[in-house]
Amino acid sequence: MKRYAYYLSCINESMTKEVDRSIALWQKDLGIELVHLHESTCCGGSNLDYVSPKHFALVNARNIAHAEKMGLDLVVSCNTCLMTIRSAKKKLDASPELRAEVNEILKKEGLEYRGTSEVRHLLWVLIDDVGLEAIKSKVKVPLSKYRIAPFYGCHILRPSTVLGKDNPLDPSSLDQLIEALGGKTIPYRHKNRCCGFHTLLVAEEESLSVAAEALGEAIEEKADFIVTPCPLCHTVLDGYQSKALKQAHIHSSIPVFHLSEMVGLALGYSPKELGIKRHIVS
Amino acid sequence: MTVTSEQHIEGKRDVTFRVFRLNPQVDSKPYFDDYTIPVERGITVLRALNYIKENIDASVSYRVFCQAGICGSCGMRINGISKLACTTQVWDELPKCREAGIIKIEPLRNLPLLKDLIVDMDPLVGKMKHYRNWVESSMPEPEMGKKEFLVSEEEFSRYDKATDCILCASCVSECSILRANKEYVSPAVLLKSYRMNVDTRDSLHDVRLAELVQDHGVWDCTHCYRCQETCVKNIPIMEAIHGIREDAIECRGLKDSAGAKHAEAFMSDIEKKGKLVEATLPFRTNGVAWTVKNLLPMAVKMIMKRRTPPPPPLVKSSKGMKQFREEFREMTEHVKDDHKTHNK
Ligand code: SF4
Ligand code: SF4
Ligand code: FES
Repeated sequence: MKRYAYYLSCINESMTKEVDRSIALWQKDLGIELVHLHESTCCGGSNLDYVSPKHFALVNARNIAHAEKMGLDLVVSCNTCLMTIRSAKKKLDASPELRAEVNEILKKEGLEYRGTSEVRHLLWVLIDDVGLEAIKSKVKVPLSKYRIAPFYGCHILRPSTVLGKDNPLDPSSLDQLIEALGGKTIPYRHKNRCCGFHTLLVAEEESLSVAAEALGEAIEEKADFIVTPCPLCHTVLDGYQSKALKQAHIHSSIPVFHLSEMVGLALGYSPKELGIKRHIVS
Repeated sequence: MTVTSEQHIEGKRDVTFRVFRLNPQVDSKPYFDDYTIPVERGITVLRALNYIKENIDASVSYRVFCQAGICGSCGMRINGISKLACTTQVWDELPKCREAGIIKIEPLRNLPLLKDLIVDMDPLVGKMKHYRNWVESSMPEPEMGKKEFLVSEEEFSRYDKATDCILCASCVSECSILRANKEYVSPAVLLKSYRMNVDTRDSLHDVRLAELVQDHGVWDCTHCYRCQETCVKNIPIMEAIHGIREDAIECRGLKDSAGAKHAEAFMSDIEKKGKLVEATLPFRTNGVAWTVKNLLPMAVKMIMKRRTPPPPPLVKSSKGMKQFREEFREMTEHVKDDHKTHNK
């Protein structure tokens, strides 16, 4: 059983509880254990970095230091948390002064940021550590009935200087996972586009128009559902779907699944167990 | 990939260029023309277009000047990605073709089309003017021409990278928000505004910043990083965008605009709870009236699915919050000290 420190994302603790619930169901089946990091705090959601770069460094040095204390890699299941914590790590690793400054503060808690733990997305762990072959061998209900639109979201791809796993122009990791689970991917031009989440409350119309484009293509290509590795993308594509499609005059709908739910379905868990009923679009 | 290794060794092969065509004065809708030409390894897409124009079809229109990645004229979409034709190798594009051996050439997006591969740059120039993206000297007039205006190396280093921009509009073509609303300021314009606002010789900082925080300005960027990923000069555009935001918060305060209020919520929630209190985020960003009007219908659906975030008192604080809060406040003191030394 390979162990990881699991970072608790604000959104998965509140609005998208089904993500952590479904991971909890199947993690042992795939030989991994995600140890919840209850001490971790909000990463700043790609906002704290410009409100206060120093607090941003402190907060995320602390998040990572907790994982380092356990001797484990930090695993996240939200794209923006991934990008945010990784970019903090990049800054800390590049600056001995910044590291010294935050460590002076963290010392009081008996913590030290050393840069020994990697920060990784659950999708990457599934592909690189568990392995596609192993996943294939565990599939109980292949997704062969389904045509699936893989929506990667921005912050698992860009900036590639911080992420660097997939080619941001032509990503393939999620496609590979879908195929390992027996599903068929559709050629999906919007796979590496944006969902509009980060301006939902500031420029709603623009955000919804961005989302509607991604939804519209999947609908047009007759996908059975969209799958995303990011709960923020899910919130827009599912929660705001009817509003977005209405604005774009598209009279249709399409279910959106979390990566964790798709894995759960293929491993034989029921939609009810996985919390799929909690989605807005069914 | 379809190029056989034999052809690779030979370094010469036939390549088809599928070129977007539209002459609004004659054509009612756009179409594509295929030109198949012999190409040697080492040839750029621009040279291939030149060959087509000289030898096959003189009517194909595109902009070109320096042919060396300096002037920014030849931005176009090559196999779907905005870049410079003069620095793009045909050989590098071959493995990226959707249809084997066919390189697709289209005009940039998000700017009005004039003809074939030529887009109208006027809207971009207009925005540059609107945000006053030039240095308006802060030197008193009597001194002008008599004194040098020196910029230290340290000062220059803050906008060194931003000066690499050649205004090719590739980032503009890939911007998510601009695609949704052509009024949006645009990444290249934000980059330039940042560059001007940190220039120590300039006197327009406050005026420019006041405009940047308005609608369609800096707060409308959705952090998708597509501009940065596209930039043909590898300029970290998002650092400039975040730089403007940081500056806006410092100079204009955290209550200045919906964008600033939204950002502030993260800071204060982390300090208080270690977590984001999502339930009240819409109110704090846009006020009660907006929230009721815009989110109520959806909230009803969310409540029925038990999808609403918990009300503030029920948001469980992170473990070890007391200690964390002390650390957070200690950092606040550091930041205050930094500002003091910075302002000296
Ligand atoms: S990060 Fe902002 S400016 Fe850049 S492409 Fe995305 S929305 Fe446009
Ligand atoms: S920022 Fe980069 S991509 Fe955008 S116009 Fe300037 S050089 Fe071109
Ligand atoms: S022709 Fe000048 S940049 Fe390409």
